[in-house]
Amino acid sequence: MTSTLATRPGASAVAVDRPGSRQQSQVTRLLPNWLIVVVIGVLALFVLAPVVYIVLASLNSDISVARGDFWPAVFTPDNYANIWTNVGLANGLMNSIIVAGATAIVSAALSIGTAYVLVRYQFFGRLTIMRALLALQSVPGTLLVLPVFVLFSSSATYLGLQVIGTRWGLFITYLTFALPFSTWVMVTYLRGLPKELEEAARIDGATSFGILTKIILPLSWPGIIVSGIFAFLLGWNDVLFASVMTNPTSQTAAVALQIFATSTEGGAIPYYGQMMASALVCAAPVVFLYLFFQKYLVGGLTAGGVK
Amino acid sequence: MTTSNSASGTRHAARAARRASGPAPAVGPTNDPDESPTRSVPAISEGFETPAGKRGRGPSERNRPLWMLIPGGVLMIIVIIVPLLLGIYMSLLDLDQYTLRQWIEAPFIGIANYIEAVTQTNLFHGVWLSVSYSFIATVIAMPIGIAAAVATQNAFKGRAVVRSVFLIPYILPSFVVATVWRTMFQPGGIIDKSFHSLGADPGLFLNGPNTYWTLIFVQIWASWPFIYLLALAGLQAVDHEVHEASALDGALWWTKLRYVIFPYLKGPISLAFIIGMLNHINNFTLPFVLFGIPAPHDVELLPVLTYVTSFQSFRFGLSAAMAVVSLILIAIPLFIYLRVVKLDEAEQGGRK
Amino acid sequence: MRFGTKARLAAIATAAVFALSACGSGSSSSSSGGAVNGAGKTLDVLVGVNTAYPEQQKQWMSDTAAKFKQQTGATLKFETFTSANEELTRIQTSVVSGQGPDVYALGTTFTPTAYSTGAFKVLTDSDWNKIGGKDRFNQAALGISGPDSSHLIGVPFASRPFVMAYNKTMLKAAGIDKPATTWDGLVDQAKKMTDPAKGQYGMAIAYKDNFDPWKYIWGMSVQAGNPLVDGKTAKLDDPTVKTAYSTYFGWLTKDKVVNPASVGWSNSQALADFASGKDAYFLMTSSGSIPTLDKSPIKDQWDYALMPTVAPGQTSDKAGSNQAASILSGDNLVVASYSKNQDLALAYINLVTSKDEQLNYQKIFGDLPANADALASLDSAPHMAALTQAAKESKATPFTGAWSDIQLDLLNVVVQSIPDLSSGNVSDSALNSRISDAQNKAQQSLNRVK
Repeated sequence: MTSTLATRPGASAVAVDRPGSRQQSQVTRLLPNWLIVVVIGVLALFVLAPVVYIVLASLNSDISVARGDFWPAVFTPDNYANIWTNVGLANGLMNSIIVAGATAIVSAALSIGTAYVLVRYQFFGRLTIMRALLALQSVPGTLLVLPVFVLFSSSATYLGLQVIGTRWGLFITYLTFALPFSTWVMVTYLRGLPKELEEAARIDGATSFGILTKIILPLSWPGIIVSGIFAFLLGWNDVLFASVMTNPTSQTAAVALQIFATSTEGGAIPYYGQMMASALVCAAPVVFLYLFFQKYLVGGLTAGGVK
Repeated sequence: MTTSNSASGTRHAARAARRASGPAPAVGPTNDPDESPTRSVPAISEGFETPAGKRGRGPSERNRPLWMLIPGGVLMIIVIIVPLLLGIYMSLLDLDQYTLRQWIEAPFIGIANYIEAVTQTNLFHGVWLSVSYSFIATVIAMPIGIAAAVATQNAFKGRAVVRSVFLIPYILPSFVVATVWRTMFQPGGIIDKSFHSLGADPGLFLNGPNTYWTLIFVQIWASWPFIYLLALAGLQAVDHEVHEASALDGALWWTKLRYVIFPYLKGPISLAFIIGMLNHINNFTLPFVLFGIPAPHDVELLPVLTYVTSFQSFRFGLSAAMAVVSLILIAIPLFIYLRVVKLDEAEQGGRK
Repeated sequence: MRFGTKARLAAIATAAVFALSACGSGSSSSSSGGAVNGAGKTLDVLVGVNTAYPEQQKQWMSDTAAKFKQQTGATLKFETFTSANEELTRIQTSVVSGQGPDVYALGTTFTPTAYSTGAFKVLTDSDWNKIGGKDRFNQAALGISGPDSSHLIGVPFASRPFVMAYNKTMLKAAGIDKPATTWDGLVDQAKKMTDPAKGQYGMAIAYKDNFDPWKYIWGMSVQAGNPLVDGKTAKLDDPTVKTAYSTYFGWLTKDKVVNPASVGWSNSQALADFASGKDAYFLMTSSGSIPTLDKSPIKDQWDYALMPTVAPGQTSDKAGSNQAASILSGDNLVVASYSKNQDLALAYINLVTSKDEQLNYQKIFGDLPANADALASLDSAPHMAALTQAAKESKATPFTGAWSDIQLDLLNVVVQSIPDLSSGNVSDSALNSRISDAQNKAQQSLNRVK
């Protein structure tokens, strides 16, 4: 076997029957078993070492963590009980879920429309828009924080519209920062969809919007979910904007956690244990979200590709 | 390229054809001489180049629903463009703690901030550090992400769990990641202890020259799952027929990977590369929490520098000027890159 | 999953919009009118989060709000900041937007910065009368309320003077009956108690802390007669500053009385090490360390003492020189000029700086009262003697808008020296060049003062 193989997959594919699922997994196998085990093992170790550390620290006493102990002398679950009163995590988690969730949904909805137009239509400025979508991501957040804040706060002064301190302000900000990338994910996804159905519908007199909602949308769930997850994580993890634009009622979990994590000047030992416990609790919703969507995410991507 | 292979061969042919067709990508239909094998390449792998670059018969001009661009456009103008312009305007003002209260009336000083930024600050040092660290971290994270995607491509018991585990670093908020690693890297911490028990003395991780590599290491840990996700999506897009074909041909796994599968990943990976680079360049939280301020000289990254200038020294004008200069320094290579990868050249793709 | 119908999408979108609106109601409603009666009004107060007593702080907030409601009829709402950075950000964003909290609890070292923005109310004599007069307060604590006695913006609220903690058992074992009062004497004592073989060191120092290092340099320089800023001239290039840095680094490199690992320690890590009984002294700590120490293995063996007040290289306090036992540290209350509730703001300040409230606050959080009577009544409480003395002998850092820059420049010398420090030697030339770099930057910041 040499590397000068000339495979003609297109030609030979015709000869193959649809394989059963067991066979299918044999066919799509990309690596030998031993290598799969090695790769997964090494990466799992790489990822899990610090995670195990977090878990152990979340059950440890603060002074022991500060000393650099790995294994807790005494396991204490107290940290998990205390975070709800000390960190204000419940309120933060709710705000995070609402803001990040709304960001994910709306950015997916907006980006599919934008991407559809960019992929299927020709118009002046199209290329500029597509380039700008990526270029906009190079604008540093540290440059934008102050101007965005000035702008939002002046909306209260001049328009009587209070944005700072509400979830709306955060939502709009995250939505906007999520859009370029979400749109790109959708652009790349929509390019892969066949056009025949659309054309048929158009001949039947469907409007562009009708085609988008009735034909494109049902086929696009995998792309929508991918872009939605990215948008969600953007809102979930941001601290820079959230710390400036929220107040105690609207603060997100990330801010609540950071507030808790930051020890004040000349203070005592930070509550490492509670911090780690809170970090795990904050990560949990996203892990569940992913587990829930994984089926759609992966299965959907395949379905969209084949049929 | 000595090996002839249909999948990659087709792509090269297509690319050559497109190059020959002239510089303005959107102008005319490009004819792809070879249609067959990859005609149904779908989904995300199509982001950057399409083998079958044919423009179909488009819908009539007046039906274009361009209004769908408006909501996103308006948002971006309000939340990114206007603040950006405002930021640029601020960079021309003598804006500091003394003038902030009536910032609109702050003295206009032209490019004085820019001159100071270039001549009296560590701006270029910061730009160089930011770009080089981003590049190294992105380049190393890429094979890791791809390997993980390839290894979890096939169903096996517990795959869902493995995939979720892989995403943990991406899910944890940056400052949690930074705090955890800082705790682990500190002198007398768990990593330091481990090195010493092996008889090695690596020196300090959070101060001095090692900081640069500490940062890269943590950044890789935190961001490889992003590459993994995009690579995974790209892999899902590989047609079943392609798998079947190469299985029939009995190709060795690495031959199949190299010549059949990887070409499909080029699009998502290029996208991941750009986004990864930009995310790293603008990453503020990680270095800030890992090393604190003032930052050690070896990790005086751009975002940290601008942050300190504006939120510690209150030189908002100067800080804005620094950010604008760095934006230009980053945007130019970015733009060249966008052209080189012919990101926007891909016309309507998918199968005919 | 084909739930791609318009109706469902609309439902989801509506739900999203609804969720966003629900109880996301605006922030402050600090507006309208200025009558003494505050019924129907809300006073917005920004305070630092107390990381040592989060639950107690919540309780204190609701108790205080209840008392305030009783006195004025107005609602009191607290917002919190956590770090110095966040505090600065909040000040800036409020300054630039002209909206935000009515009253701020500011760290003392930020008061000059706040003053320089011109966004906070300069208190008039009649304002002072409404809050019990200047005599109500520990006079040292007023030292950083404004540039001079007729331009004060800050009302002292709490003091957190810095002291050192020491391990009584270790001192006794080494035959030392009293903590040293000179820096040189402290090193001598520390040497006697250092035994690296047992993992025992004379001092716990947090070289990597984001705040500690400059306080040592400032303190030693002031004790040697150099206040670092003279009008608009920076004096970091004075030999006293270099002596201070050399002394500070020398504990590790020459005297070897601190754990080499401390190059990576923040204040809390140094505290943890001291609390585990491995160090004789823990410098630059405040009452905030009491809860940690009282829960630690050495809970019955520690006490506080004043940090040395005699500059390095000197044997006695020269007549007329500054004692500077500690930087003047704590919280000031300032009132935003844009606030529409100025009288309510003063009423709040009057409430929380009264003797009873101050003592109550001290009992809960350990911060010392700024109220003079309250402070005087505390001398005999456990661990309080050194703290109250330090509060009275604190010295303010220079009152200039450039101070936060200078503080950062001083700190930066230490940050950039840490690799050298960890290899055991900070060379003279490297130190000189870092100090002169700091001097230049400090002078530039002073030049910009308007």
